[in-house]
Amino acid sequence: MGEHILSWMTFFPVIGAAVIAFIPSERKEIIKTVAAAAAAIPLVLAVQLYIGFDRGTSAFQFVEHYTWIKSFHIEYFMGVDGLSVPMMLLTALLSFICIIASWRIDKAVKGYFALFLILETGMFGVFSALDFFLFYVFWEVMLLPMYFLIGIWGGPRREYAAIKFFLYTLAGSVLMLLAMIAFYLNVSDPVTGGHTFNMLHMFNQANHSEWLQLTNVRHLIWLGLFIGFAIKVPIVPFHTWLPDAHVEAPTAVSVILAGVLLKMGTYGILRISYPMLPDAAQWFAYPMVILGAINILYGAFCAMAQTDMKKLVAYSSVSHMGYVLLGMGAMCKVGVDLQSAQAAINGAVFQMFNHGTITAMMFLGVGVIYDRAHHREINGFGGLGMQMPVYTSFFSFALFAALGLPGLSGFISEAMIFMGTFPAYRTVAMVSALGIVIGAAYVLWMLQRVFLGPKNDKYDSLPDINAREMFTLVPIGIIVLLLGVYPMPVLNLMKVSLTNLIKVVAG
Amino acid sequence: MDTMLPMGSVDVGMNGHFATVLIFVLIGFFFAAVALIVAKLLRPHDPNPTKLTTYECGEETRGSSWIRFNVRFYLVALFFIVFDVEVIFLYPWAVVFKHLLPLPELGVLVFWEMVIFLVILSLGLAYIWVKGDLDWVKKLVDRAEDEPPRRNPLLKSVTNEEGSQ
Amino acid sequence: MELLNLNIPSWSDLAYWRPEAILCGTFLAALLGDLIGRGRRPAISFVISVFGLITAGAYSVAAVLHGGAAHTIMGDLIIVDGMAAFFRLLFILAGLATVLFSWTAEEIMGRKRENKAEFFYLTVLMTAAMMVMAEARDLLMLFLSMEAVGLVSYVMAGYMRTSLRSTEASLKYVIFGAVSSGIMLYGLSLLYGMTGAMTFDGIRAGLLAGEVNGLSLLITVILILAGMSYKIAAVPFHFWCPDVYEGAPTPVAAIFSVGPKAAGFALMIRFFYTTLAAGADPSASAPLIELINWPLLMAVIAAVTMTYGNLVALRQLNVKRMLAYSSISHVGYLLMGFVLLTDAGLAAILFYLAVYTLMNLGAFFVVVALNNHIKSEELDDYAGIGFRAPWLGTMMVIFLASLTGVPPFAGFAGKFYVFTAVMDRQWFWLAILAALNSVVGLYYYFRVVKAMFLTRPAEGADTTPLKIHWLQYTVLAVLAVPTLVLGFWFGPLKVLADQAIGLLSTGM
Repeated sequence: MGEHILSWMTFFPVIGAAVIAFIPSERKEIIKTVAAAAAAIPLVLAVQLYIGFDRGTSAFQFVEHYTWIKSFHIEYFMGVDGLSVPMMLLTALLSFICIIASWRIDKAVKGYFALFLILETGMFGVFSALDFFLFYVFWEVMLLPMYFLIGIWGGPRREYAAIKFFLYTLAGSVLMLLAMIAFYLNVSDPVTGGHTFNMLHMFNQANHSEWLQLTNVRHLIWLGLFIGFAIKVPIVPFHTWLPDAHVEAPTAVSVILAGVLLKMGTYGILRISYPMLPDAAQWFAYPMVILGAINILYGAFCAMAQTDMKKLVAYSSVSHMGYVLLGMGAMCKVGVDLQSAQAAINGAVFQMFNHGTITAMMFLGVGVIYDRAHHREINGFGGLGMQMPVYTSFFSFALFAALGLPGLSGFISEAMIFMGTFPAYRTVAMVSALGIVIGAAYVLWMLQRVFLGPKNDKYDSLPDINAREMFTLVPIGIIVLLLGVYPMPVLNLMKVSLTNLIKVVAG
Repeated sequence: MDTMLPMGSVDVGMNGHFATVLIFVLIGFFFAAVALIVAKLLRPHDPNPTKLTTYECGEETRGSSWIRFNVRFYLVALFFIVFDVEVIFLYPWAVVFKHLLPLPELGVLVFWEMVIFLVILSLGLAYIWVKGDLDWVKKLVDRAEDEPPRRNPLLKSVTNEEGSQ
Repeated sequence: MELLNLNIPSWSDLAYWRPEAILCGTFLAALLGDLIGRGRRPAISFVISVFGLITAGAYSVAAVLHGGAAHTIMGDLIIVDGMAAFFRLLFILAGLATVLFSWTAEEIMGRKRENKAEFFYLTVLMTAAMMVMAEARDLLMLFLSMEAVGLVSYVMAGYMRTSLRSTEASLKYVIFGAVSSGIMLYGLSLLYGMTGAMTFDGIRAGLLAGEVNGLSLLITVILILAGMSYKIAAVPFHFWCPDVYEGAPTPVAAIFSVGPKAAGFALMIRFFYTTLAAGADPSASAPLIELINWPLLMAVIAAVTMTYGNLVALRQLNVKRMLAYSSISHVGYLLMGFVLLTDAGLAAILFYLAVYTLMNLGAFFVVVALNNHIKSEELDDYAGIGFRAPWLGTMMVIFLASLTGVPPFAGFAGKFYVFTAVMDRQWFWLAILAALNSVVGLYYYFRVVKAMFLTRPAEGADTTPLKIHWLQYTVLAVLAVPTLVLGFWFGPLKVLADQAIGLLSTGM
């Protein structure tokens, strides 16, 4: 497995799904065990990836490169760098935890776990593909499982939420498809002279055709790609699918959605748009930070207004992804010293990772209470802290991490982003900083209404968190705490690659 | 094959040929129009109720003219046409066949082609025979299927939208 | 004697024409079998039809493997080349799948049906006629083959002759067919008048040689396009399509939606490519295309067709009607390949047609299989059916996702190829419109999926699992596997399509 570690990580889940397809649907325990195993192996491989990854170079590692469809110059080209490794780790971790967290699924078990594993394959594929076509296929492969996971196992308005998610994302991805074809037709392979989907060739501006070097064309293609990715992030005003999808999705799917899928949008911009169209990235830097600020504030204000716990967490995701955008935009500004740019972009990618872990905890926490009380109304609870002390401590931990309490990982990444953004865009950064205050407000307000105050007698008999749920929360909690104290294990992974990215875009 | 000019004619170009057609059409219209207009001018105009009733061979008209014609008349007419056409094909074939027969391969080919044609036609005859389409008196077994009436899509969608909101 | 100078066919022509000859023979044999069985033994005709189709298929495959140059046979009327070979395989696949699947369809084989056997041999005859459409290289054969396919279609549309809807469908089809054939015939006669030639090559030579008036050529092309648009159901000649698909038995609608459509495209490719674009000197053809502003004409037709089909499909509540409008929108995507009459564009059409045949047949067959049990094609009646028949439901998801054009299904590969061909010539607005249209498509395709899997059936509804015939399993699997595999491994099919078009341009 050492040779093809990325392929194994990517395709092991789908092999698991194929195995599940042949297990009779009554054998639910076997299906769940197989699913857990199929998700556990990539996790083990991810650890191997983490250990074996050379932190000293920005080159792609663990590369696998084969011809796939020759007549269209499509290649099977996988590889990871400092940007994708943290995402691979996050995906492996959250997928496994989500399989465990889905243990109580009772309806159409076979379909659920098979689809979940296919989804996992898509996520790994997106984060490791270096051929644009391959990237696109993996990107789209996730849509169908996601549609069904929300649509069949979701809440009361699941049909609406599922198709809304699907329509939004597909609308974004067809724009990406057109941009991809434009690249394909206008980038030549330096070796053969033909068209190519190889991202590394696309990164090299010397391979671009004359048409592709026209400024207007580049800006238009950038916008096409940007909208495609923005819908996934989601960037306001393309965000309206997110609250619906989150509210209706089952807990584990929400976790994956917020923890991994949202990161794909920002990952796509960093992996594809930035290096391929660096000048357009500079051109768009200011709009990007503005959009980031809007995301932060709008998401935070919306979160404050919610009475549904899950919706609140969903809007907090919108807000937190805004920080990522802020850092990404600040990085592109020319003339800012390298250190600030590094702080901005490292913070942004680190924030992607941290948001993945922290939101996962929050969604899992909401899932725990929803399983017991069968509703998520913030105002319908009260005083749960006395009834479920262990659960309360876990959930509060997640909430404090979300509001950026120093000592937890979220604080570090947000601080880095602001450190990087201040020199570049002072005003925007100052306005965005308000988001932290509002963030604290909605988090604490929810904490107060749900866990503190007079106890609601209705919930006298709620059992506290059980061992399986604890098992899903504890590992993430440890990571959040560890990285809050000592973030270097993740920051070291990405530093060199991201510095290289700064050179490409703003250097 | 590409130059299709009649013998002895002058090449007047494509538009020239169409001009001939156009003139022909115009003259046609002209004749019809003249006939009608002249008749209109010459004939006396004196309508009365008896004159305006529908004329049907001296009989009093009754019922609607939109009656259902027995479909069998058409069927018989169709069968007739089919075999009529067969004969039309056979005549010219028979005329040239004599000349073609001595030719080495062609003669056999042309012979068998006609045989195949006749076999196909006779299969058709057998078909209508077996299926009973040659019987004039037929039992009426047809009845409309018990299929649900077509739903009105407009009405449907209105109620559907209400339901899904 | 001049007789010898005439290009009279010979027996040796049949060597290149085995599949067609076999199918014609199969038709006659199956008809005879039906007569011998006194119309009460459809199995005889079924077996003969299946056997004949398989044999013809084997010969077609052999012809493809054998390769070889183009052969003009039957006295210049017919050409057998790479493209013909491609379409032969396509039509035999569609015909065979339809015949096999219909054996299990209540609408064809139900107890109340008469003349069951006729369906099988009519399908065979239609397959043969469609193959001739793809091979015609002469105005006469063009018209004859189109009419042959049309006549068989009219009969098949009215197959359920005691059903009012089916007869209505048939009558509509006949009337529309007659009108559009008439229009096309007029265009063909004008073309003959302009060039004095019947063969496509001769027409091209005539067009290039003489001083062609742009306006009269445009009118001629539009008239001919009208007849062909009817066959492929492109806007504004699509009106018959939804009514016929809804009224005709579903297996018939299935083959209508792929067979005559693909044959119409084959004819259009050969006719327009040969007369307007191909030839030894590509630069010589540019004036002809520009003279009538062909790219814009086709782009507008394509854009209107796909948008109209998609938008109307959104409102449909009957799955068959929805699929009918969806097929109209797919015609729009296919027509994009025509915009510049380039090799890449035409190869993309071939590729897309192959993929489209698989997925659309599949979707229709699932409707057939469900109709056997629930006797309805209304969306509302599909509620929760995915859990009663998980296998059928999964198949339907595969086919519909492929129709939507989501990777990793074959429909995506088809769209990708068409988009690439169009964008290569910088028709960006068309590509963007098509891309947005495929998002619209998602909504109505997934309404079916939603009904099948997401909507819970009404209280007290039947929830017993459905029994599925083994033949249905087989045929659907045969269609679904390539639908899936071609999504991520479409190299070979692309090579095949490219070759077919490449031979077209060199073989003339």
